[in-house]
Amino acid sequence: MADTSARQTGAGTNEYSRPDGFERGKAFVYRYGLLTVLVVMIAYFSATQPFFRTFANAMIILQAASIVAVVGLGCTVSMTVGGFDLSVGSAMSLSIMAAAAAMVIGDVGGVPAILIGILAGLAVGVFNSLLIVLARVPDLVATLSTLFLVNGLTLMGVSGQSVAEGMAWNGTTTSGKFAPIFKWLGSGKVVSIPSSVIVAGLVFLFVVGLLNYTRWGRAFYAVGGNPIAAAAAGIRVARYRVSAYLISGGLAAIAGLMLAARSNRGDVNVGDPYLLQAVSAALVGYAVLGANKPNAFGTLIGAVFVAVLINGLTMFNFPYYAQSFVQGVLLVVALLMSYTLGPRRR
Amino acid sequence: MLAPAATSAADGDNPSAAGRDTLVECRGLAKVFGATRALNGVTFDIRPGETLGLLGANGAGKSTLIKILSAMHRPTTGKIFVEGRECAFQYASDARDAGIATVHQNIDDNVVFGMTVAENLLLDEIARPGARIFLNRGEILRRARVIQEKLELDLPLTLPVEHLAPSRRQELAIARELVKNPKLLILDEPTSTLSEREAQKLFDAVQEMRRKGIAILYISHRMSEVKLLCDRAVVLRNGMIVSEHQSPLDTKAIASSILGELVLSTVRGSREGRGTAVKISGMRCRPHSPEVSFSMKKGEVLGLTGLIGAGKTEILEQICGYRPLVSGAMEIEGKALRPKDVADAMLKGVVMVPEQRAMQSIFPGDTLWQHCSIGLINLFSRAGFMERSREIAFARDVIKAFRVVCPGAEATIEELSGGNQQKLLVGRWLQQEWRLVVLDEPFRGIDIGARGLISQELRRFSEHTPVLVCSSDPEEVIEVADRVIIMVDERIAHEDKASNLTADSLAEIMSGAAFEGGLQPIGEAS
Repeated sequence: MADTSARQTGAGTNEYSRPDGFERGKAFVYRYGLLTVLVVMIAYFSATQPFFRTFANAMIILQAASIVAVVGLGCTVSMTVGGFDLSVGSAMSLSIMAAAAAMVIGDVGGVPAILIGILAGLAVGVFNSLLIVLARVPDLVATLSTLFLVNGLTLMGVSGQSVAEGMAWNGTTTSGKFAPIFKWLGSGKVVSIPSSVIVAGLVFLFVVGLLNYTRWGRAFYAVGGNPIAAAAAGIRVARYRVSAYLISGGLAAIAGLMLAARSNRGDVNVGDPYLLQAVSAALVGYAVLGANKPNAFGTLIGAVFVAVLINGLTMFNFPYYAQSFVQGVLLVVALLMSYTLGPRRR
Repeated sequence: MLAPAATSAADGDNPSAAGRDTLVECRGLAKVFGATRALNGVTFDIRPGETLGLLGANGAGKSTLIKILSAMHRPTTGKIFVEGRECAFQYASDARDAGIATVHQNIDDNVVFGMTVAENLLLDEIARPGARIFLNRGEILRRARVIQEKLELDLPLTLPVEHLAPSRRQELAIARELVKNPKLLILDEPTSTLSEREAQKLFDAVQEMRRKGIAILYISHRMSEVKLLCDRAVVLRNGMIVSEHQSPLDTKAIASSILGELVLSTVRGSREGRGTAVKISGMRCRPHSPEVSFSMKKGEVLGLTGLIGAGKTEILEQICGYRPLVSGAMEIEGKALRPKDVADAMLKGVVMVPEQRAMQSIFPGDTLWQHCSIGLINLFSRAGFMERSREIAFARDVIKAFRVVCPGAEATIEELSGGNQQKLLVGRWLQQEWRLVVLDEPFRGIDIGARGLISQELRRFSEHTPVLVCSSDPEEVIEVADRVIIMVDERIAHEDKASNLTADSLAEIMSGAAFEGGLQPIGEAS
């Protein structure tokens, strides 16, 4: 093994004196490890499962990844400012309820319903900002309390029932319908590409552009890297933190609308599980291309990775109840790549 | 066997002929980090009871050497002998057991916040394997009192550490090491965060320790301290000991030895500024403190000095928007300036290099080019999009102009030594005109080479932009400034041309002793 030849004698042995081959291997795994595993995995599934390599299945995978990706990209933005948004799942649920109720109970059109849903998500962002920036509550606990508050608010708003066409409300049967444009969001297609994939793609382009190419992105990362130094460099830290939570809430709302449109109903708290999915996609993203920080491309890969894995394993009759375990393994591997193989901070 | 060593009690392999009167001997110490050789065969010895100065520029390898001696790093090659016995340190406690104690440069690394002074004093004892599991506060206090008496400490034992002033924290840090009865005490730049008067107390403490027979390895950038305290000095350059100097120390020879070929001739002399570019009137450090008024000109560097607590920082921070204006007014080129925050001050042309580099200027893991342009993102973007090639070109200009020693603009900031970080962080602001540039303690913890270069560039830059430099080190102020304002007790005590001042006279005014205007000398009750 290349490893054993590295052994040195005496007290001089330390972690810095391994030969270049080992260091280079480590650097490769650090940068390209996760992408290599993804490519190998896709190749293996394609070779063994004929249906896996069809265009239709590719679209199924991307569709499955799209909602997680959109929420995850929101989380990524809040992470760049050194924050953490635990309320994205409940923001999703709230926007689902708001939009569904607006259409079914309020009988408004599709476009106003979508706007109402997005506004609901932004409102969650505003509330988070008030707690974090104005009241100086730490991010994690502030968004945790928002999680509960918004969850409760959602349930109270619709008296704990799911919103569906023809539901009973205040003793009468509602007449409102899910609008066509709303349904399109869930099941429509543009040149055989599902609309949710298109939306996720647009959101990705927006976040990648924002974080990697604009001065606002530089400021976001600077605020997360060292808020005191960012302020000393003339960056208005509070504004960027508020913007980050607004973007996070807004993207969660968009993801919620995509989810509601897919099932054409507003089930209670259906957004909750997406919090953990989205956070884990963003964290897996740390390991992509050795970024070692929140980044849009990594989050996208993180979301797609899980979708590919579960899609492929399902074809091998992998039991659904082991999915969490597989995701856990992926997350641990990714974290080992970014934290253990990554550059040492002294 | 040859003839037995005459008086040495040490058995085993005797490291050198002089082994019997050396306390610690380093032989051929080398340390390699990846592609860089931090130490390149360091050989020197420390004799029992002597105070040895260790000098060297930033990046010369001082920190690495100290970390090896305090067992935080293991040497790649080379050996350490303590009293003739070879020591292969594994854990920090091994160095302590061998009698080597270290007070690190950053004072707050040496004490534990959230604990009282007494708990800090006993910390090593509490943490030692086999120590009692349950210790009540009375017991801790009782034992701390014993230590306090033995070391003749004057510290409030029940006070949490965070309520101590930096100098008292350092006293505590040194006491913590002395508890271990060390044979060698390593002091790494102990005065870098102390004011002049606090430093004097430290010097007394060092001399007291010497009387008790403790050997001291004293690391400092300040030549005057080394000359005052040390019996002998060695100079480290490029990871090697390049010279040894005996008392009385020849500071000139030491300086040129530290710098090697890098010697810079600093142009001194007091220039007369032109016109009045910045006018500050009726400003106060706090409500009800005395009014402070002064003006700045183009074509001169104004030095602002005073002891810690004299009010320098309060004034600077108001000028640059770090805190709201207490009272009074500022005028820049005839226009009123009242910055709402730092960003606003910068938009109005006022920029500041803050005091604490690691905390206030550095983004961990970010590259040099990112550091150069982060404060100027509006300048390097078009329609919101950053223009990376221009950013990198800008960073290259800064690196070139300030001779920043680095692998390139893509390197991360942590790869640079402190002095080179500072050159970059100051240099990035000096590439364009501003209305006012303010620097708070820009020379802290950097070597005389970097200091000379930064002062020279500041003087050149001040031809078109007024420069205000704040420092509590008299030597530094005189070196960089044309005119000096001295603050005592939140008021301006004295103002003079730098050429009329010496480091000694300046220190005297700073301490309040030489002020003729009726101020009470500080520290003397009356």
